[in-house]
Amino acid sequence: MAAVKQTVEHVESLEKYKHGFVTEIDQEFAPKGLSADIVRFISAKKEEPEWMLQWRLDAFERWLAMDEPTWAKVDFPPIDYQDSYYYAAPKTKDGPMSLDEVDPDILATYAKLGIPLREQEVLAGVQGAPRYAVDAVFDSVSVVTTFKKELAEAGVIFCSMSEAIREHPELVKKYLGSVVPVSDNYYACLNAAVFSDGSFVYVPPGVRCPMELSTYFRINAENSGQFERTLIIADAGAYVSYLEGCTAPMRDENQLHAAVVELVVLDDAEIKYSTVQNWYPGDPETGKGGIYNFVTKRADCRGDRSKVSWTQVETGSSITWKYPSCVLRGESSVGEFYSIAITNGRQQADTGTKMIHLGANTRSRIISKGISAGKSSNTYRGLVSAHPKAKGARNFTQCDSLLIGKTCAAHTVPYVEARNGSCVFEHEATTTKLSEDQLFYAMQRGLSQEEAVQLLVNGFVKDVLQELPMEFAVEAQKLVAISLEGSVG
Amino acid sequence: MSIAEAISSGDASLLPSRRDEDWRWTDLRGLIRQMPAASPEGRAWAWDSPLSGQVDVEVGVVNGRGSTDLEVAAGEEKFVAWRFLSTAEAGAHNAELWVTVGEGGKLTLVESYEGVSGGYLANTMVNIRLAKGAKVERIVFAADHADGVSVVDAKVELAADAAYSQTVLTHGARRQRIETRVAHPGAHAQLRLDGAYLLEGQHNADLTTVVEHQGVDGTTSQLTKGVVRDQSRGVFQGRIVVAEGADRTDARMGHHALILSDKAEIDAKPELLIFADDVQCAHGNTIGALDEDALFYAEQRGMPEDLARALLTAAFVGEVIERIEHDAVREVAQAWAAQRLEV
Repeated sequence: MAAVKQTVEHVESLEKYKHGFVTEIDQEFAPKGLSADIVRFISAKKEEPEWMLQWRLDAFERWLAMDEPTWAKVDFPPIDYQDSYYYAAPKTKDGPMSLDEVDPDILATYAKLGIPLREQEVLAGVQGAPRYAVDAVFDSVSVVTTFKKELAEAGVIFCSMSEAIREHPELVKKYLGSVVPVSDNYYACLNAAVFSDGSFVYVPPGVRCPMELSTYFRINAENSGQFERTLIIADAGAYVSYLEGCTAPMRDENQLHAAVVELVVLDDAEIKYSTVQNWYPGDPETGKGGIYNFVTKRADCRGDRSKVSWTQVETGSSITWKYPSCVLRGESSVGEFYSIAITNGRQQADTGTKMIHLGANTRSRIISKGISAGKSSNTYRGLVSAHPKAKGARNFTQCDSLLIGKTCAAHTVPYVEARNGSCVFEHEATTTKLSEDQLFYAMQRGLSQEEAVQLLVNGFVKDVLQELPMEFAVEAQKLVAISLEGSVG
Repeated sequence: MSIAEAISSGDASLLPSRRDEDWRWTDLRGLIRQMPAASPEGRAWAWDSPLSGQVDVEVGVVNGRGSTDLEVAAGEEKFVAWRFLSTAEAGAHNAELWVTVGEGGKLTLVESYEGVSGGYLANTMVNIRLAKGAKVERIVFAADHADGVSVVDAKVELAADAAYSQTVLTHGARRQRIETRVAHPGAHAQLRLDGAYLLEGQHNADLTTVVEHQGVDGTTSQLTKGVVRDQSRGVFQGRIVVAEGADRTDARMGHHALILSDKAEIDAKPELLIFADDVQCAHGNTIGALDEDALFYAEQRGMPEDLARALLTAAFVGEVIERIEHDAVREVAQAWAAQRLEV
């Protein structure tokens, strides 16, 4: 009867959105609204040096002159940028601290989310279990970063962005904004002006980071936006695997999450970046509330034979606008993008990737699986381009979309630009519904309709799930099931 | 933004530019700073086309003038050549024509765009309407002058059970756009939408298609192939839209191109916009050089490299031309490709 019990448990665990709780906690806010003074306030709060403040003010100046992009296939009422808090932090002393100093409510929050912040808890598991270091970002600040000591022994710097600006200004100055320039796009520019925290990783030459690094982003405060900035540098021959997770409470209002992630990869280095995005998607019936996830992620493969692999499981957010990209500058550098994007209810997702081939013999691979259900809309938008110097550039793209139900939409909008005679680009895309025959077969074998759908969907996304770090693959698979709950029947 | 308006008003700022998403790779505004003067009336028709004498009707449109609409009555069958000429004196001109095919009517329409010398900006709008069960095959030979700028925009509407096939063959121009927009409001409509561009020198060609499935059980089969050499640039934009309720649509789009020079360029955007769930839609897009293995094989059999390349290229493009249903037109198309590819 074990199987029955497991099924019962599984169905019970299919709550609508189990991360939707709010942590009641004393918080400190910047005054509502956005102005140069708010930018100064944030910078002062973070005790930043003058150059950082100037950088922010310059970004704010440019942002004022920019227009919001409208080309994505998403539809939302205009955002009032003055009606939001740009800084919200738990009321404790700023910056990193020991775990004992962290507000127990926050610790409880992370415990509830299943994120191990105590190193011994991570270790307490089965012997040989994979370990990973966590940087926990709560609204605008990083509350704690684990395993710092052990990582430091290996030479790896893993800390919050605020700390990096104070402790490693030479690295920050050198790389910040070098992949995503300040005025790259509207949301990235806004982020440059008001970014609060995020993670900073530096892996020195030849070092293979001894454990998985991860950042867990949590939006808690009402009426606030989260603007984190992450910078990861893999020096020559280094390797690091990084995972980010995100959740937020259930609210009727829309909250903005405009992050920037920059990856710098030097000769022979490799970064594996995985995302499990589970922001609150809004009410499935009315579409009310949910996070606007407008994110700019880009990797610069500067070194020869460098490699970046983006893996994303996008299940949350009311609107997703996100194109993790690879600039393949170094000779023989490699970019990969594996994505599962699931939309249900009234979610809208416009997501994909850009593979920009600049160096000779660069290779890229895109596997995108989109699933739409309910009244949602799911768009893959991607660019593959080869410049005249990118001799021998090679790309393979596969975009598959699955439609569940009559009221959802799935779109594929790839752009391909080939500018030399030795590049080879292949692209294939399909859009279909769940096969009736396969469903019938699975149900005939005794599976319920929901289970049958889940089984087929898991098969559909398997290519991407395989690319996730082991410990998250299981979580992601469960998340896929939760996201599609209520989409059939 | 409208080319027709830009031409009639002489205002170049009305031309589409790369800021317009659908024109990002075919920038007219950046190319034409000042509008050419309106084209004078052209002289009458002077020479034969390979199909002269074989067609039922041959219509000449010179510098946008002399157009007559075309009507095929219910149950009637017609083979028509429509020739659009831009003369040596040509500046800017518009032309708009209507084609209606009655119930069960059948039309083979061969459209040619012939430029005598460069410097013109020609804009041709073709509206084609197919009644229930009508069948049309349209073949476009775009033989523009290397310095000409030409835009052909066809709007096609298919009633229930109608069948429409199209093949566009072009060697490009200074800028050239051949756009086809097809709407499938009727059920069980069938569509084939093909194209081939063989470009050299500094030629540009842009094949854009938009297919909207609104009725049930519609099918679309689309195959475009391109070969670009020297500093030429080929653009393919294909969009298939399946509206809510257009169930059991089966749409397939393929774009495959050979890029045979380091200075040539191909830009492609094959889009699928799907609002119905009971559909089968797919697209494939490949860009690359000739297959080295196949070349090696041919050379090993004693074939000179140039011939091997030409044969492989011809075979690549041949797939599109073989899909032309009308025998006489297919032969003309084969000759056109052979001449271009020097086989």
